[in-house]
Amino acid sequence: MNDTMSEPSRHILGSFHDALESIKSNTLMMASLTERSLHNTAKGLFERDEDLCNIVIADDEEIDLLEIQVDRDGIDVMMRYQPVASDLRQVVSAMKMSVNIERIADQAVNIARRVRKLILEEPLPEIEELKGMFETSIQMFHDATQAFATGDLELARGMKARDKELDIENARLASLFADKMPGNPTHLHAYLNLIFMARFLERVGDHAKNICEDVVFAYAAEDIRHVSAVKASAE
Amino acid sequence: MITAPRMQESTLPKPAESAPNAKVPRPDFLTVRNFNFFYSQKQALYDINMDIPECQVTAFIGPSGCGKSTLLRNFNRMNELIDGGRHEGEIKLLGRNIYDPKLEVISLRRSIGMVFQKSNPFPKSIYENIVYGLRICGHNNKSELDEAVERSLRGAALWDEVKDRLQESALGLSGGQMQRLCIARAIANRPKVLLMDEPCSALDPIATVKVEELIHELKKQFTIVIVTHNMQQATRCSDLTAFFYLGKLIEFDKTQKIFSNPSQKQTEDYITGRFG
Repeated sequence: MNDTMSEPSRHILGSFHDALESIKSNTLMMASLTERSLHNTAKGLFERDEDLCNIVIADDEEIDLLEIQVDRDGIDVMMRYQPVASDLRQVVSAMKMSVNIERIADQAVNIARRVRKLILEEPLPEIEELKGMFETSIQMFHDATQAFATGDLELARGMKARDKELDIENARLASLFADKMPGNPTHLHAYLNLIFMARFLERVGDHAKNICEDVVFAYAAEDIRHVSAVKASAE
Repeated sequence: MITAPRMQESTLPKPAESAPNAKVPRPDFLTVRNFNFFYSQKQALYDINMDIPECQVTAFIGPSGCGKSTLLRNFNRMNELIDGGRHEGEIKLLGRNIYDPKLEVISLRRSIGMVFQKSNPFPKSIYENIVYGLRICGHNNKSELDEAVERSLRGAALWDEVKDRLQESALGLSGGQMQRLCIARAIANRPKVLLMDEPCSALDPIATVKVEELIHELKKQFTIVIVTHNMQQATRCSDLTAFFYLGKLIEFDKTQKIFSNPSQKQTEDYITGRFG
């Protein structure tokens, strides 16, 4: 069953409604810029394009500023309108999401910096192995954003399992690249960079999962974080 | 009947949290069963069922005309003073029907005190305001009355401000002090229940905070039912919140639940300002 939530009706106080919409649209703008950075990072790596890497690093500032803006607007809304229930959850979730999105953008910058070093050396055939992780993590982030924008709880709830698959792929690649190192001492740094990139992409998946947890909280008032720990503490 | 389910609690101290020495609240201290109320032909309350627990603060919220004040006034039979007012169903205090013909209304109102929206001190001294009800009940022993005045004024957090001018007119007090005097007067008779009908709507923010702090203290001894249009006040002061609409009880639950994740869409629309 698709349990996408319907849009709430308009608030009587127009300025409150506009302020809530502004927080949401700024959060989505952050997500859009961050997704573009991830795509640019992937393209920079596979097409050996340093300019794209530089764009990713430069765009990070705009994302940082948007994070500050979302925080500022969130505090302003709480101060002015004292939101409750779904409105309060939307504001708190947007503020938490913006932190996760900003960290995803940081991961894109981390990868871009490594790519700039990597493309100075001759291309390694194992770079192709990262394509799957790039595609998966970018799609996960895209879906997390989609879930936030539309309140698609089914999409949000499915993210945890996808994150576990990404963790497994990261472990596989780390092992693969580490195994290559003893036989290729001249490319030690390059393999290390690949291991780090896989790790950064795995972190993108973690943040996408965090965003989806906030989406479930915002739209269903349900806290799905650390379920096993909460269950254990209750027992 | 709408009852409050168990729910996961925040570990943070809440403004309305019970003190360590507070009584274990009796869950059915004040009960309402199948209660309807009519102003002549017009029905104002429809089939209300609820259990108000002891030594807790229960807030009634809802738009104007939803019936919250009507129900509050029924708790001490004040609606009997209205021509054409009639009720169906039961309201029980500690298991006894407050409409029992054998129960004297004066005795009931000693058990269920009321504080109104506009403070209404008598044009008498501060001292005489407090002892007014006690004198009517035949208490004239001076030391007994003195003790009641100090106890009530301390209970209403007003003693330190007025102890040196107890014989001065109550009408010389500030608005916030007058309202706390009315609370002191209401608790002088040691009621079981304290009803408050928008007690802070005419007060400035500081006076409002003082009354809210007083509510927090008073709930250790009294069961409090408060009608408020100020939802932030309901979140700060109350343990339970009941939402009324068009004479019906829509939702009654823990305040934390009502204001974070209400079960009913009408409640959500009202508290988030999407109503109408």
